[in-house]
Amino acid sequence: MSGVKLQSIVKAYGAVQVVHGIDLEVQEKEFVVLVGPSGCGKSTTLRMVAGLEEISGGELTIDGKVMNRVAPKDRDVAMVFQNYALYPHLNVANNIAFGLKIRKESKQDIEDAVAEVGGILGLTEYLDRKPSDLSGGQRQRVAMGRAIVRRPKVFLFDEPLSNLDAKLRTQMRAEIKRLHKRLGVTSLYVTHDQVEAMTLADRIVVMNDGRIEQIGTPMELFLNPINSFVAGFLGAPPMNQIKATIAAGDTGPLAQFAGGELALAPLADLQNAVGREVIVGIRPEYAQIVTEPTAGSVSCNLDLVETLGSEALLHTTVGDDPFVIRTDTLDKMGVLDAVTGFTAQPDLIKVFDADTGMALAGQTRAA
Amino acid sequence: MSSGPDIEETQTLQIPTRGRMERLVDHMKKDWQLYVLLLPTLIWLLVFLYKPMYGLQIAFKDYSIFRGVAASPWIGFEHFETLFNSEGFMRALRNTIAISFWSLLIGFPMPIFLALMFNEILHRKFKSTAQTIVYLPHFISSVIIAGIVITAFSPGAGIVNTVMGWFGLDPIYFLTKPEWFRPIFIGTTIWQEAGFQSIVFLAAIAGVSPTLYESAVVDGASRWQMMWKITIPSILPTIIIMLIIRIGNMLEVSFEMIILLYQPSTYETADVVNTFIYRQGLQNGQYDFAAAAGLFNAVVAFVLVIGANTIAKRFSRTSLW
Repeated sequence: MSGVKLQSIVKAYGAVQVVHGIDLEVQEKEFVVLVGPSGCGKSTTLRMVAGLEEISGGELTIDGKVMNRVAPKDRDVAMVFQNYALYPHLNVANNIAFGLKIRKESKQDIEDAVAEVGGILGLTEYLDRKPSDLSGGQRQRVAMGRAIVRRPKVFLFDEPLSNLDAKLRTQMRAEIKRLHKRLGVTSLYVTHDQVEAMTLADRIVVMNDGRIEQIGTPMELFLNPINSFVAGFLGAPPMNQIKATIAAGDTGPLAQFAGGELALAPLADLQNAVGREVIVGIRPEYAQIVTEPTAGSVSCNLDLVETLGSEALLHTTVGDDPFVIRTDTLDKMGVLDAVTGFTAQPDLIKVFDADTGMALAGQTRAA
Repeated sequence: MSSGPDIEETQTLQIPTRGRMERLVDHMKKDWQLYVLLLPTLIWLLVFLYKPMYGLQIAFKDYSIFRGVAASPWIGFEHFETLFNSEGFMRALRNTIAISFWSLLIGFPMPIFLALMFNEILHRKFKSTAQTIVYLPHFISSVIIAGIVITAFSPGAGIVNTVMGWFGLDPIYFLTKPEWFRPIFIGTTIWQEAGFQSIVFLAAIAGVSPTLYESAVVDGASRWQMMWKITIPSILPTIIIMLIIRIGNMLEVSFEMIILLYQPSTYETADVVNTFIYRQGLQNGQYDFAAAAGLFNAVVAFVLVIGANTIAKRFSRTSLW
């Protein structure tokens, strides 16, 4: 079984610890994405798995074998780098063949492997070209070709799409997904782009400040963020987080804001929190616009409407807190400028502790 | 009849085109500060490199310092004929080519080799100490270097003959033996300059993306393989540029060092075109003849640079221009 297991992995540079004992188990054939802001330790973790960084503490196993002191070449992993790491003096074929030549595979095997990978990645007609003659997308494909040609047990991707423009990134994202489906190789992928994480991952690992905040499927994390950091990191635009006080209503708990109140799910933990200051999280797409103040809606001041075509982003404020609403535009364009408030379905509203930022218990919603 | 608009004039759209000179003037007006910065270099070039070219004409004249350059009579290629019929010049040319060839063959790869070695040293302190030691001779005057060499190879107290004595070998008067002059001279110039010249290649190595090495490490490459398959190919453009420059200066053999080390007994292998010019021009006062030899030297250097650049352009993507 070619899974990857990190147990209490620590990375320290002298007295400075940057990864604080993380635990993660990547199953065979699974595509796991490490996501988090810059400096959160995700790339360092990946480089420790690759063997490019020494592990300061904990245990790393690949395919059931402890790899802490094993040289990168003997870990049977292949890595795709952010800046492609293509050898400028070699043509595409030789770049792809580099690892095989180093391992002294037979000429015929190398030629066959390069031709096969070239075919898979649509690089056949570019095999004689130098990297400088290729576009960004083609270069990234060559970098992936170099990784897959060795048929490693684990693929490691270190922000491979960061240098591409938005359109190409979307295209390459789909290609990586297709490639993973086809090859079924265990993959660990690092990105700071939550869209990449959501679209590619079987499971997402959200990291912050050298620690894992939450691990789960994209929808689990999207619907049930464990804390306000995860809630704010996943989703575009991110989840709105506004200050509120929990109050007791006729049918259950209420969240009271500067501009009104919203009914919350009738959960014991929320009912027990009556009177507490909390942070209420509402995803922009789960807020429904209202054009006239009604009971059970919150008033907001419309600041700006961004029309994206099929949908629009309404930038508003609730008290002093910014609040974004995403709404579809069909048959609504005429009323967008008249929006006075919003409402939201109780079970789609998340409540976080104002001090710790942790989600109050019992709010899990099936993905 | 009323005078209507000129049809030719109305139908032909004249797009104003600006000449090169006008564009240059525009650029100069816009970025005049940059051109001011360029000025001292331009003046230096004109005064010290271009103005003296006026004097090159004496290579084709029967020059007399009393008549001056302009008034001296033209004699065509007479000096060149004398030059090529002169055994002294032909010997100097042969020696120049031989010394240049061996210096290029041994001396050119040496800084590259040093840079590669420095790059492989992981211990920082050892690396910086080693670099300082090899850079040091460059900052020592050639006169002192020559003094060290003369002392080291002297038959009496020289370290080389002393060590040879320990093995029962007879002392050798190295600097008076023609067969020893070239190895000593080439060795000395390599010792003096290789370390300093390695800086260029070290800088080129520093420019190689570290991810290329990381990628190679994951692929299983050893340090040796990385040096051959990544470092050397990556610095190849720098190597080619340096080679072109070196070829252009091939005939400019370290003139001072030869003057300091050679003596009549080693002229046979030590006398080069520049020392020949020095003796003819300054010591014997044959300025016109020396100018002909110098001009010949410059023409050959020019042809070498053009040739090396053309070859580099044809076989690689790198060239000086």
